[in-house]
Amino acid sequence: MVRATVTPDSGDASQAPVSQNDQPTDRGSPPPRLRQGLSERALGRLFVSPSILLMALVALFPVIWAFVLSLQLYNRRQPQGFGGFQNYLEALTMPRFWDSIQFTFLFTVTSVTAEFVIGMGFALLMNQSFRGRGVTRAAILVPWVIPTVVAAQMWFFMFNITPGFINNLLGLENFNWLGQRGWATFAVVFADVWKTAPFVALLLLAGLQTIPGDVYESARVDGAGPFARFWHITLPLLRPAILVALLFRTVEALRVYDLPQVMTRGAFDTESLSMLVQQYVVRTPDPGFGAALSTLTFVLILGIGLIFVRLLGRDLVIGTEGSRR
Amino acid sequence: MRARTLMAMGGAAALLAVAACTPSGGSGGGDSNEIVWAIGGAEAQPGGIHQKVAELWNELNPDTPVRIEILPNEADQQREQQALELQAEGSGFDVLGVDVIWTGEYQENGWLESLEDVRDQIEPVVLPGPFESAIWGGELWAAPYNTNAGFLYYRTDLVDTPPTTWEELCEIAIEVGQEEGIGGYIAQGAQYEGFVVNWLEFYWGTGGDLFNSDQSQVVFDVDRATQATEFMAEALDSGCFAPGFNTAMEEEARNEFQSGNAVFMRNWPYAYSLIEDDAESPANGNFGIAPMPTFDGQGTISTLGGFNLAVSAFSDNKEAAKEFVVWAATDPQVQRMLATEASVPPVMASVYEELSDDPVMALLGEVLADARPRPASPAWNEISVEMQRALFPAYNGDADARDAAETVRSFLESTIN
Amino acid sequence: MTSTTADPVRPKATRSLDLKSRRAARRRDAAQLWGKTALLGVILLWCLFPFFWLIMTSLKQGDRALNSPNLFQGPFGFQNYLAVFQQNFHLNLRNSFVVAGTTTILCVVIGTLCAYAIARLPMKGKVLLLSGVLAVSLFPPVALVPPLYELWRSLGLLNTWEGLYIPYTAFTLPLTVFILTAFFSSIPRDLEEAAKIDGATPFQAFFKIVLPLASPGVFAAAIIIFVQAWNEFLLASTFAPRHPEIAQTVPVAIAYFTGAVEYQRPIGTITAACVVVTIPMIIMALIFQKRIVSGLIAGSVKG
Repeated sequence: MVRATVTPDSGDASQAPVSQNDQPTDRGSPPPRLRQGLSERALGRLFVSPSILLMALVALFPVIWAFVLSLQLYNRRQPQGFGGFQNYLEALTMPRFWDSIQFTFLFTVTSVTAEFVIGMGFALLMNQSFRGRGVTRAAILVPWVIPTVVAAQMWFFMFNITPGFINNLLGLENFNWLGQRGWATFAVVFADVWKTAPFVALLLLAGLQTIPGDVYESARVDGAGPFARFWHITLPLLRPAILVALLFRTVEALRVYDLPQVMTRGAFDTESLSMLVQQYVVRTPDPGFGAALSTLTFVLILGIGLIFVRLLGRDLVIGTEGSRR
Repeated sequence: MRARTLMAMGGAAALLAVAACTPSGGSGGGDSNEIVWAIGGAEAQPGGIHQKVAELWNELNPDTPVRIEILPNEADQQREQQALELQAEGSGFDVLGVDVIWTGEYQENGWLESLEDVRDQIEPVVLPGPFESAIWGGELWAAPYNTNAGFLYYRTDLVDTPPTTWEELCEIAIEVGQEEGIGGYIAQGAQYEGFVVNWLEFYWGTGGDLFNSDQSQVVFDVDRATQATEFMAEALDSGCFAPGFNTAMEEEARNEFQSGNAVFMRNWPYAYSLIEDDAESPANGNFGIAPMPTFDGQGTISTLGGFNLAVSAFSDNKEAAKEFVVWAATDPQVQRMLATEASVPPVMASVYEELSDDPVMALLGEVLADARPRPASPAWNEISVEMQRALFPAYNGDADARDAAETVRSFLESTIN
Repeated sequence: MTSTTADPVRPKATRSLDLKSRRAARRRDAAQLWGKTALLGVILLWCLFPFFWLIMTSLKQGDRALNSPNLFQGPFGFQNYLAVFQQNFHLNLRNSFVVAGTTTILCVVIGTLCAYAIARLPMKGKVLLLSGVLAVSLFPPVALVPPLYELWRSLGLLNTWEGLYIPYTAFTLPLTVFILTAFFSSIPRDLEEAAKIDGATPFQAFFKIVLPLASPGVFAAAIIIFVQAWNEFLLASTFAPRHPEIAQTVPVAIAYFTGAVEYQRPIGTITAACVVVTIPMIIMALIFQKRIVSGLIAGSVKG
């Protein structure tokens, strides 16, 4: 709806007049040049390069290192020579790997869904004006600013039979939340939802701000109820923010480590992929196998992340589609 | 105005980037004569017993002073930090506080200096169990420093004499537990290293073992292992084990017993003084300690804990470091201090005789004679993880006990050769 | 559509009908208010009860109180807080502030530029670029630690602030870029066009028109970056594990708390430290999120 006014621009890029502006490397003395105006293409390259440079410098080296490492065989830390894809084969045939994938997926789907629903509720609430909304907004963010490791220990304390805060609160004598299959998973998911729903809320709240008020106004004039307004206006216009929130929650949840590690230590089928990776990198180090597991995890998560990027790509890049041709 | 805020932010960024040059602190390298002792936990904190030991050494040896580099609280994280430094062959640490189960692994990685040449100074005065935990491949790699053993805590107001067999313990636990409306036996039953320690006490209590004495052969007995696991499974079902047994670590167990919710507890000596100090605890003044039961009522078994002190292979100050670790293991004053000032069980046999008036020390003296270390194998961490993954579900009724024992046996076999 | 048919009916409505509907509306409002209040109560309870537990626990003294399931089991006092600050915790706070603050500023500045370029400027292979950016943040962090540790060691970056905020910036940039790209692309293009017609350069159009409009997104991103950098544990515990006087951050320092004796869990000091670090964060979040909500209004006045 809003985009109806968008006009594709192609003029500026092609007209870029001054030739020396094609060198985006000189960042030292911008003011005089900016007055003349960088061409959009040059500006684009200039804007992108610091990010790319920094990320490549920090992240590329260890990823390549890990891949090279994953082709080596080790007996604990003792190198045993080149092994090709043997580590990968071993990982893929390990039942434990698939068990941890199963838990990780279950955890991701349930926690991200719940976080999205609750986070959306929080965001809609934070976006309204009412008495005491300042306090409410601060309160909603509290769970998220507590360090994860502390939050995990706290929820262990809450759920565990000793000392048993939740059992005390609900009048359940000795319900063993963390000591049985199913409920252990529930407790971990619950703690994660509590902790990260505010993150989703914050992203969605910011997204809500970009929806102009007059869109709602005209819908109200058209007689649309609150639910219809939410469904037909809020949701579609919030799509990029929703996708970004879901994307990052999903990839974070797929790498969950602290909560299950502290709360259940992987007992009762709550071992996540990252816990498995951690074991082979740190606890019982086998650098080659650990690197292979990491690479597999990476590929898996990247695959899922790319689905989101495809969906998002349309939203994010659409505006410049015209000028690209 | 908004643009100005952002401008200001940009300016602040530039400023911070310039200003954010880390203050150069006084530590790092320093004296080449200094011995850096990397150890963690409560006793490494200012005022802790490790600090006192270091102070004592520094009085006697001002030329080669010891400085403690405090490591995190959790053993896993201590090991991680040591491993990072040692893997990079850094000389940042001279003396390493190593958990008794890390010896083999560190040695295999070439991180430790052999102490074979000072073996004859250490072996005669130190208890055999802790000494064994510092041996791998027939050679001495660390000097025992402090040890630890578990024993049975019981409520003297509810139980007349402590049980000597597991059957007896469970009978009392169920009966008294039901009468009083409290749990029976609490120990370390969560899926972690402590569970392996506890399971081994059951298993060793059946007469089984993992390896032969020089750890060249697997002697793991599947029948006995099955018996131990099945006993635990039954005890969990029948209510012999207190609620929350399968998520309890040291502190959960202590808390349960201390708040009067359990008849029996297996724990390390540390719990003794904490319960004694708690005036409101129902257990206060009403508890005693005894050796752990076995299946046939003969003798007692405990799994050893504790820390050894090793010399880093990358130390710039090996001779002095070696002197220090030998001194800490064999000096009567140091070893006595551990017991009297911090209730950290020492490794020197003679101290237990001297302190036999103290109930904890007297019992420890008795228990330690039969206590066993976990194998010093470099593969111990893997073995432990595998045992947890096989045996924990089995005792929780999610897997077959015999299958679990078979799994453990074949894994043990795979670590040899 | 429905409103056009309803309109002519209105003037004919009688007084009594009007009154009745007004009363009904008032009743509906009251019910709505109650519903809202109840909902608010539930939300506050959900969010704050665990925090309340943290505060109560941090004030408890002695082993018995700390291990009791009763929140109001005393004795109470400030001992845990004193103990926390005796361990140089103020230095840890300083380190965390510098590291998280620098990360936030670097990330926002660099990320804003990148996001604007992706959202608005002509460029080839944008989807590929976005995929690459995302990939950076997806490798299991624990596997990045060993190689980065070696690299940091040889570069002399261990135990420095730089050693922390450089990787933090790199690993948080993807999130920043995605959030901001989503914002820039949702801002109507005609504003920029108008500016350009008025003679603004592309950079001026970005800096004076688009950036202010995107400020809700910028501030939301800033809070998120700050909190993530503040709470990061894995890299911090590897690259600056010790020495509060140099670069050890808050979460790492908490891992060094111990009980009075071996095995005893330091719940009291952990919760106290947690309260100490949470309160400034809440204040910060409050200030920042005001910007998130009021950002658009202020921006549109200007635009």
